[in-house]
Amino acid sequence: MSELMKGNFEVKRKLDVPDVSDDSADFKNEFKKKALESIGGSMVFVEREMLFWESTESADGE
Amino acid sequence: MAKILFVNPVVREEDVPRHIPYGIALLAAIAMNNGHLVQIYDANAWRKGFGVLPDVYLADDWDVIAIGGLTTTYSFIKEACRIAKEVAPDAFLVAGGGFLTSMPQDIMEWIPQIDLGIVGEAFVTWPEVLEKIDNKDTDFSATLGVICRDGDGKPILNNTRPIIRDLNTLPAPAWDLFPLEEVYFKNSASLFSEDAYRIKRRIDINASYGCSLICRYCWHLGTTGDMLIEKDSNGNNDVVFTYGRNIRYHSPDYIIDMVKELKKNFNIDFVNFLDENLMTMDASSKRTWLKEICEKWIAAGLQPSSRRPGGKAAAPGEEPGVYWSGTSHASLHRPEILKLMYEAGCTHLVYGLESFDPGILKNLGKGTTAQKNIDSVGECMRSGIMPIPNIIIGFPEEDFQSVRNTINALIKLGIHARPHFATAYPGSEWYYTYKESIKEQYDGDLERYVADLGDATKITAVISHNFTGLELLGLQEIVAQRNLRVLDQAEKYWGRPGVTNVAAPQESFNFRRKKIDGPIDGSK
Ligand code: B12
Ligand code: SF4
Repeated sequence: MSELMKGNFEVKRKLDVPDVSDDSADFKNEFKKKALESIGGSMVFVEREMLFWESTESADGE
Repeated sequence: MAKILFVNPVVREEDVPRHIPYGIALLAAIAMNNGHLVQIYDANAWRKGFGVLPDVYLADDWDVIAIGGLTTTYSFIKEACRIAKEVAPDAFLVAGGGFLTSMPQDIMEWIPQIDLGIVGEAFVTWPEVLEKIDNKDTDFSATLGVICRDGDGKPILNNTRPIIRDLNTLPAPAWDLFPLEEVYFKNSASLFSEDAYRIKRRIDINASYGCSLICRYCWHLGTTGDMLIEKDSNGNNDVVFTYGRNIRYHSPDYIIDMVKELKKNFNIDFVNFLDENLMTMDASSKRTWLKEICEKWIAAGLQPSSRRPGGKAAAPGEEPGVYWSGTSHASLHRPEILKLMYEAGCTHLVYGLESFDPGILKNLGKGTTAQKNIDSVGECMRSGIMPIPNIIIGFPEEDFQSVRNTINALIKLGIHARPHFATAYPGSEWYYTYKESIKEQYDGDLERYVADLGDATKITAVISHNFTGLELLGLQEIVAQRNLRVLDQAEKYWGRPGVTNVAAPQESFNFRRKKIDGPIDGSK
């Protein structure tokens, strides 16, 4: 674990954060960054978290 | 002694973290020298998201949580302050830096969790505030240079804190409290020059404060004699920014000693000077300051191996000297000083050329001309130093001819650039001149504008009198492609009767187009 905080004394409660906090989040961000950088021509990027679309099917399946 | 947690906010998220926050590093050193207990959580370096903040805030029982940065860190700071008050309500929340100083009243309204703001230079105010907190005295009504709250939470801005006269009294920044090996050194190299691309261990230093010029888009942080505090028409204190400047330098000896220490303690091979503009400062010193720095750099053995007579580049990790970079000015640089700077190890210099149009440059306050801008690129290159030109479009008076002038110069000089958009950052003359137009473009919501600000590569509020955002986006691409044919075509079909300007200038209480210096302490 890296030392996330640095100072001139020891804190009471050490931070318990793993070295690579969230691998999948890092990967997703890196992928998104690379994808956004290459947008143009046939390259597009669709955000997974930003979908506002709602199914047009009504709840009872009509 | 107070227990203090600094949080360095995330900045320029689209890039890896590269900059140790110099202001926070200095304030941490000052606090420790005054006997306080300090921890730093560098959120910008770690980029762990907001999820980790509650753990950071709960790591100890903080007397003070301190946060601050430039305007573009606003959104991060707002959320970090919200979480702080939720998780650690007993800690006194202090803010400072550019985001606050440029608009203290607005920020205190938009982030109600902030208990106290330090406005402008914090070198004297910060330890004074800590001492009071240590004494359980949170009545700041008589403290200079702060914005505090009255019993009802209403912000009260106190009078200006005079800036310090002698910079050499400052301690070295607390560099060792930042993740140098873990983060910053890994991101030391840059693509600005071959030498800068090879380096492994960079630390930035700030050797001077101020710049005598008055570029309309620039702002001097209220820390360079550019700020007054006066009563507005409602009788409330507010910040007033002026053309006043109290130019201050660290002495060449102080700088060389600092770099020698950095070499000894961290084995650095590169220093980037954060100074607003090394060359305007050199002119203000009557051409003595930079020359002395370069001569002493060489005499101290800091000259990089490749710049030594008959020398060649050292193997990675074995560089005995220190390369460096900074900012320059097209009409103030001189061949003699550029040559000496190269010999001392300067690799590249950023030139804010901005435009090659005579009319735009005349109104900009930069003190340069189109011809000087053109000449500067070759003049700098001839010294061996790589010039890094900055280009902007969307100036208030931008028109097709001014864009054409810029493209022609780019072609002539072999420069490829995707220009930034002219952006009115809070504190700048443009901001106050176009504040009403900006508000209008954000449906009256100034906070949304501030939260939207980034590094001027995208359109925020337009301040061009002639072009809309739509048109500026097209012009940006035309400049990037240097495509004069499409520019001519656009001009031919442009201009619709009945369309009014997007941006219109105004007079403002908060900006005085006069050379009135802010206060500096009386001692000589
Ligand atoms: C290094 C730097 C950066 C770094 C980040 C720095 C960082 N992490 O702090 C990078 C390269 C990322 C950067 C980017 C930008 N920057 Co910049 N940057 C600077 C620079 C060159 C040095 C800052 C510095 O260290 N100064 C020296 C220290 C001592 O000053 P300071 O940090 O302000 O600290 C003092 C006070 O403000 C205060 N203080 C500061 N922090 C805190 C915190 C607390 C808790 C307290 C109490 C007090 C306090 O106390 C300190 C002592 O008095 C300045 C110019 C300059 N020379 O100052 C511009 C400057 C800060 N940047 C500026 C601008 C405009 C930008 C950009 C928007 C430019 C652009 N168009 O791209 C981008 C933003 C990009 C983005 N997407 O966010 C403006 C400020 C605008 C504003 N309204 O805030 C400045 C002033 C340049 C200028 N003259 O216009 N920048
Ligand atoms: S020369 Fe640079 S630092 Fe000086 S006022 Fe202009 S933009 Fe700001």
